[in-house]
Amino acid sequence: MTDKKIVKNVSNIIEGLGLNPNSESISILEDIGTNSKVDAIREMTSKALVRKNSHDALKVVITNKGKGINDMSTVVAMSTINELLSLSDKAEAVKILTDTAEMHSDEEVRDNARSVKALMALS
Amino acid sequence: MANLSIPAIRQRLFNTSKNETSTQRSTNPFAASSFKGNVLTADVFESSAKKNAQPVFTGKLKASALVGSISGIGERFQNMVKSVTEFGMRIKDSVVNGWNKLNDIEISFAPAKEKLTGAYNSMKELLGTSVSDLLTTGVSAKSVAKMEDMTSARQLMQDAVTAWEAAV
Repeated sequence: MTDKKIVKNVSNIIEGLGLNPNSESISILEDIGTNSKVDAIREMTSKALVRKNSHDALKVVITNKGKGINDMSTVVAMSTINELLSLSDKAEAVKILTDTAEMHSDEEVRDNARSVKALMALS
Repeated sequence: MANLSIPAIRQRLFNTSKNETSTQRSTNPFAASSFKGNVLTADVFESSAKKNAQPVFTGKLKASALVGSISGIGERFQNMVKSVTEFGMRIKDSVVNGWNKLNDIEISFAPAKEKLTGAYNSMKELLGTSVSDLLTTGVSAKSVAKMEDMTSARQLMQDAVTAWEAAV
């Protein structure tokens, strides 16, 4: 059982970086958060990147294999998809999903992007 | 045999003194009267003889009686003072006993007092450490969101994630 203080600390940092307007915050989240071996950290990081709703942040969770919607953990992938569906402005996310489904080199990533794009169209 | 002579009959008819004398034993003035045939013989009124029996204080007798009554009052007063003194002593004894009991109770509660003090101190320490932890190591989302030094932010994130991964 992880100490609640540590969990709260990580949660606050990820949330703060998600709100930080500096572009470096995306890099920090991508380098440290999405590469963590802890599912909960990856989940929190992916959701924070989606909430930023910027091109660079959305690109991290949509186009990278093993991150965001392509995470090996179903919980992390579904949480990221759910967060994408919850966006009030989905324009940038749909655009990235369309480009990924059409032009990405990895077939699995393309299939995932296509599925999520379909869900976004229905929501 | 009945005496039927005229004087005897007259005596029985008109001379009531004989009957009156028979009722002299009662001071009831109505004793001689007949109420529906019943003669009240009980002495329901205060006897005048009793009133006469009470002494009349006159002259030296009166003075001596007064002195006697004064001395009697003094004795009563002394008894009263004595009873009040005894009452006060009893109150004092009760208060002293109560005080001793309170002291005994306080002594018996001494370990509990020590335990309460220990609990208070431990709680104080616990609160102190938790508050200090919050002030020193606690990181709020708002402070990170306003960070401009991203190197520090990266280091902060790295330390926090490492701590979590080490705990797993």
